[in-house]
Amino acid sequence: MQAIEIKQLNKSYRAIKAIENISFSVAEGELFGLVGPDGAGKSTIFNILATLLKPDAGEVSVLGLDLIKDYLKIRRKIGYLPGIFSLYPDLTVEENLRFFAVMYKSSIKENMKLIRPLWDQLSAFKKRPAGKLSGGMKQKLALCCALIHKPELLFLDEPTTGVDPVSRKEFWDILNSIQTQNITVLVSTPYMDEASRCNRIALIQNGGIIKIETPQQIVLDFEGELFSMETSEIFHLLAIMEKCRLNCNYYPYGNHLHIAFYGNKAELLTEFIQFLDEQHIIYKNLEAINPSIEDCFIELINKKAHA
Amino acid sequence: MKELMTILRKEFIHILRDKVSLFLVLAIPIMLTLLFGFTISTELRNAKISVLDLSKDSQSIKLIEKITSSGYFQVISLPESEAAIDFDFKNKNVKIAIIIPTQFEASLTKEKNADIQIINDVSDLNVASILNNYMQAVLYDFIADFNENSSSDAPVEIATKMQYNPEMNSVYMFVPGIITLIMIIVTALMSSITLSREVETGSMRMLLITPVKKIYVVFGKVIPYMILSFISTIIILVISVLVFKMPIKGSLFLLLFLCIVFMFTAASFGLMISALVKTQLEAMMVTMMGLFLPTVLLSGFLFPLDNMPYFFQLLADIFPAKWFIIAIKDVMIKGSGFAELWLYMLILLGMAIVLVTISLTRIDKRR
Amino acid sequence: MHSIEVENLTKKFGHFTAVDHITFQVRKGEIFGFLGANGAGKTTAMKMMCGLLQPTSGKATIAGYSLKSEAKLIKRNIGYMSQRFSLYNDLTVYENMQLFGTVYGIPRKELNTRIFNSLEELQMTEKAKTLVNAIPLGWKQRLAFATAMLHRPQIVFLDEPTSGVDPIVRREFWNLIYRTASQGVTIFVTTHYMDEAEYCNRISIMSEGELKLVGTPQELKDKMQVDSIADVFVKFVNR
Repeated sequence: MQAIEIKQLNKSYRAIKAIENISFSVAEGELFGLVGPDGAGKSTIFNILATLLKPDAGEVSVLGLDLIKDYLKIRRKIGYLPGIFSLYPDLTVEENLRFFAVMYKSSIKENMKLIRPLWDQLSAFKKRPAGKLSGGMKQKLALCCALIHKPELLFLDEPTTGVDPVSRKEFWDILNSIQTQNITVLVSTPYMDEASRCNRIALIQNGGIIKIETPQQIVLDFEGELFSMETSEIFHLLAIMEKCRLNCNYYPYGNHLHIAFYGNKAELLTEFIQFLDEQHIIYKNLEAINPSIEDCFIELINKKAHA
Repeated sequence: MKELMTILRKEFIHILRDKVSLFLVLAIPIMLTLLFGFTISTELRNAKISVLDLSKDSQSIKLIEKITSSGYFQVISLPESEAAIDFDFKNKNVKIAIIIPTQFEASLTKEKNADIQIINDVSDLNVASILNNYMQAVLYDFIADFNENSSSDAPVEIATKMQYNPEMNSVYMFVPGIITLIMIIVTALMSSITLSREVETGSMRMLLITPVKKIYVVFGKVIPYMILSFISTIIILVISVLVFKMPIKGSLFLLLFLCIVFMFTAASFGLMISALVKTQLEAMMVTMMGLFLPTVLLSGFLFPLDNMPYFFQLLADIFPAKWFIIAIKDVMIKGSGFAELWLYMLILLGMAIVLVTISLTRIDKRR
Repeated sequence: MHSIEVENLTKKFGHFTAVDHITFQVRKGEIFGFLGANGAGKTTAMKMMCGLLQPTSGKATIAGYSLKSEAKLIKRNIGYMSQRFSLYNDLTVYENMQLFGTVYGIPRKELNTRIFNSLEELQMTEKAKTLVNAIPLGWKQRLAFATAMLHRPQIVFLDEPTSGVDPIVRREFWNLIYRTASQGVTIFVTTHYMDEAEYCNRISIMSEGELKLVGTPQELKDKMQVDSIADVFVKFVNR
């Protein structure tokens, strides 16, 4: 059985189409990522799956249950972490957790094993009002609350947005450990670098899915030949790159320029080096690299824009 | 049931941690009661009166003495014509005037009847109606004395003809009015705000996707404010009885029960409003405009309903305040019992049940 | 010349020291990246530099004005843009720009010229009468930036300006930042994208209220002996 099955899902808010003909399925025990920028429709998908929003059209089943008919049964089996902090800021960490435990007819003790790694970090702030926690701690508390009834399926809507890289890495370690407890996880993120932590990802833009694959396969599917070079004058280089009329895509990546060639790799590379020399660009470490998910996303968006 | 208790506990934590709101909720009723009470009673001490005595006989002089000695009135002018009364109203800050007819004594003794005309300055309706009542009381007192002293067997009746304000309002009108306002503020306003706050911050969604029953969520959030509102009501009653000598002629138990019924209705209005709006600000605006204003204007608290255009009288029927004020006045002043009040309570309960039902289905409906 | 000079700036909330004696300078026209873990004190430090919060001790000169005595003048000479709040969704593009321009006291005629020019530059002239909530997020970000620049500030503070936008738009936004800086405007920027830190002339890393590292990206990488700022950050925060 698939944990989530979505076919031709549509939802509009008045004239604005939030999502259009979305179809995907998530297998039981999978960690599935919805990757894309804000406004792509990720939150709408979560709200529909968490039975808080009715779709306009499409078939959806969650844990084999019908979204409309069995929504109460679904609610009992899912955990949901919304994109904005939705706990009670004036209640302490412990009070929030106890509250949601009772709401789910569960108890902290019962599921201590599951929330242990989170609780170990939180318990130092047990008596602090939730509103006064740092961003990372707030997310950990919210996750604790969403796990308190040991759901079969966990929805996490942008849990790491605005969180610093170190806390983000920690959070993903926790997600991976949750997955080992036989909980299916659907998570969204605008950070491309997090995509590789998922089993499969759907790249989303403007309410539609661009691609669904494993992160490894997405990288393998990269069509161009990607090179990277380091330069201290990246913006100057970008400004003059217009003059370089090769069949390529280029964009800055920190102090590197990433350039994807389409066609005869050796020929293009030679011409490019010639161009750099003509323009007196100082660079180093020009080399072929493996694309990241971000490189793939850029290629896919560009391809879509040109199509 | 454990869920309900937990939600209640959580709501009380919210209330207790928000010290400013808690203070306001408890202090406002005290301030309002004292403010209304003292302004009205000071307005009423030694109100300036002008008396046009057309008979100038022994009984009319006795009547003027009676009026003066009542403590409520201060006779500052004895004009000679009705035109002069008008002048007094305009220039001497006179609040009330009476006209004693010609041959007052003769009419009293022989015809057992005399027409005394009371003229009110209704620029301040509340004061006017209260002074009017005082004057009535003084006049009845006077007639009672007269009947006792005269040897005649048939008692004399006085027909008073009132201008501008035929409504017989009580001096104690303001206490039921304040109780109503406070219950609307604390129960309806606070519960609509607290519910829409949960919607606004997103915690309502967290609650809704738990398996907890919607009715628990709603009651858990509303009951604490009903309790607060009940405490406020008791504070108002205690102040009214101790400081302003407000009578409670009917059963205290019935009075409190009536208040609980009204609180339930007010809470259901708050619930309905929160189901219609998306933000706390909207909740506040809608409650103020849609419930608080009609309560002030259309409940008969400040402005008598009988004088209003028929449309407004009909409109007043759909707001709970009107029914509650009638009922609470009946209990406190007339001493009515359950037999006279059950219909009003039924109306209030009916409103509540309809609104709660609509709101619950609306909250559940996914948009 | 220094646009920002901060010396021993400290902010305490009760017993908690949010910002602890930080000292640094930012040159005119420099892109200065301000990194740090959540709760490290970045927001508090930024609020003080914008003149929104008075420091407990220490001093700062922002755009040539003293933080202690000339907070009002500071506000006139800086721009601010944040991902969380930037523009009013229910006003049109033009109305938003006019509103913020008027707040800074730009004369009407002059303001209209500036709005026209910056819309031209963004290639958004035909969108002037569109409601902000109907334009895509990427454009909104650039528009918010242009709006923060209307009063020609000497320094612009950008608080996570590219949070949540797609990779292409992010790069376009940095191009805009770069062009602005090359015109002599100082850029003070926070971000959680570590690749973006590499675009900065210099970066600083805050932790537990203290400014632990300041330098060019290359200096920091050399110092920590790693290949990327992401690794600098991870290595630094974890130790």
